[in-house]
Amino acid sequence: MIAVVTFGFAAFALAGGFMAQSFDALKEGTIRTVGHLQIVDRRAVGRAEEATLEFGIQDSRRARSIAARDPGVEAVLPRIEFVGLATTGPRSVPFLGVGVDPEPEARATFARELMVSGRYLTSADGEGLVLGTGLAGALGVKPGDRVTLMATTPDGSLNAVDGVVEGLADVKIKELNDRYLAAGLGLVSRLLQSGETVSKLVVFLRPGARETEVASRLARALQEAGFPVVLRRWQELAVFYGQVKLLYIGIFGFVGAVLVVIVILSAAIVMTMAVAERTREIGTLRALGTRPGGILRLFLAEGITIAVVGCAAGMALALAVRAALNASGIMLPPPPGGTHGMPIHVKLYALAYAAGLVSMVATMGIASFFPARRAARIPIVEALTHV
Amino acid sequence: MEPETPLVEASGVSRSYRVGTERVQAVRNVSLVIRPGEFVALQGPSGSGKTTLLNLMGLLDRPDRGAVRVEGRDGESLSENDRSDFRRDRFGFVFQTFNLIPVLSARENVEYPMVLAAASKEARASRSRELLASVGLSEKAEVRPDLLSGGQRQRVAIARALANRPSIVFADEPTANLDSRTGEQILDLMREINDAGRVAFLFATHDPAVVARARRIVTLHDGEIASDGAP
Repeated sequence: MIAVVTFGFAAFALAGGFMAQSFDALKEGTIRTVGHLQIVDRRAVGRAEEATLEFGIQDSRRARSIAARDPGVEAVLPRIEFVGLATTGPRSVPFLGVGVDPEPEARATFARELMVSGRYLTSADGEGLVLGTGLAGALGVKPGDRVTLMATTPDGSLNAVDGVVEGLADVKIKELNDRYLAAGLGLVSRLLQSGETVSKLVVFLRPGARETEVASRLARALQEAGFPVVLRRWQELAVFYGQVKLLYIGIFGFVGAVLVVIVILSAAIVMTMAVAERTREIGTLRALGTRPGGILRLFLAEGITIAVVGCAAGMALALAVRAALNASGIMLPPPPGGTHGMPIHVKLYALAYAAGLVSMVATMGIASFFPARRAARIPIVEALTHV
Repeated sequence: MEPETPLVEASGVSRSYRVGTERVQAVRNVSLVIRPGEFVALQGPSGSGKTTLLNLMGLLDRPDRGAVRVEGRDGESLSENDRSDFRRDRFGFVFQTFNLIPVLSARENVEYPMVLAAASKEARASRSRELLASVGLSEKAEVRPDLLSGGQRQRVAIARALANRPSIVFADEPTANLDSRTGEQILDLMREINDAGRVAFLFATHDPAVVARARRIVTLHDGEIASDGAP
């Protein structure tokens, strides 16, 4: 029985640690992509991203400067999101483009880590382009090749600029990798003839800064400066994060429920057998003056003692397995929509250990209760003559 | 001289059990009084109702009809907890198969009823030492029952029965699992305790050698008292 509790607890602690680590990694990845906060024109909210420049933040340099003054802000990244057609002459492929300020963008996001060929953008005003490997493959280009970008300006006219492929990025979501294109803000502004207007300002916070407080301060400061903006938190923007989190909770919740059922059934069987095997002993204890409640408490205490001892052993097992897994370098398959796996890493998640202990103690208590109650109710004479 | 208040008194008690599809009348309309300090043997052939009567008078079982009074109180009106407390404080039990708790040492077995009675650790230690010495097992205090002989186990059981200074000890075939010499020693021990402390003994037996040591013999036959008197 102790072995069942030990393995049950270890499974709880390890699954909880793995889940917590997965959530942390997913959260960090999400924030490094969309930022902690995004500042957008309130008219752009709810519109398709390619249309947001029409309702972009004008005079973005001033807005960026105001936002950067907040003590909780680490970086403010201007971005222009747009769609267009990339062509090399013989081949033309539609793309999803983003205009960025390369240096702060590379510092705050995964931009440089994604590069698999060439280099990341070096100048906001240069001709450099970074293409997803899928888009580059479709166009048949490599670093150093020239590409012409065509797009519709906010006033509806068609414009084109030439760029040079500076590097290729392996974007981890396949559909995006096939359409991804990044360029400096200057080049994109020339293409879209958008001047100082950007789609949004992406805000990264300093460690320990409170999102809601910073968001309130930024909204107030920008609105007082005449910018009709709203601030959106990363949780609102990353629908994917919420969905994956729910999926994980569902999977781990189901596994946890199965574990609890296994422990309850095993414990109930073991405790029922213990009562049957010790029926004469129960009769003796009752004859000597133990009250029925005393017998009930005796078996409940045994169940809970087994749970506590099993959890202590389970904790040692979980820590050992965790150390082995983290040192193993086993690669996990990519998450939904991803193209890259990641090495397994199980976090030491105190809440999972606490939840495991509470679950196992409660489970053993429940599983022990009914056999214990039966033991307390056995007629003494029947118990004493039990064979 | 006015007779002493009965320790335990059965009045017209009957008890039947279902065995398979049949109902067997184990005890029928039995009345019996046990007074302080008595040393009484319940004798009779197997199935005569000795153990059933012992269980009824020891508050281990309830009669279908009739009543059992203990120290003047109606046993049937007591709650299950009150009956447990009564057994703990006023009664001692010795069983044919010793019924010691296998995971406890001899001393711990003797101390168990005192633990139930919430006696202090010092009081338990002192009393268990005294009782084990009185049954000649001081050297075996820390030994577990599986390492003791049958006679030694029954001595521990007797010491346990006396732990809370009961007014009466009920013993069901206390010598049945012992050789005759050991059985005699156990009977002598019980008799010595009876002589020394006015603890009453009511023991069921079908062994004539055991019956011969009793001061009063109650004979059961087919669940009824056939005779009751001195040997």
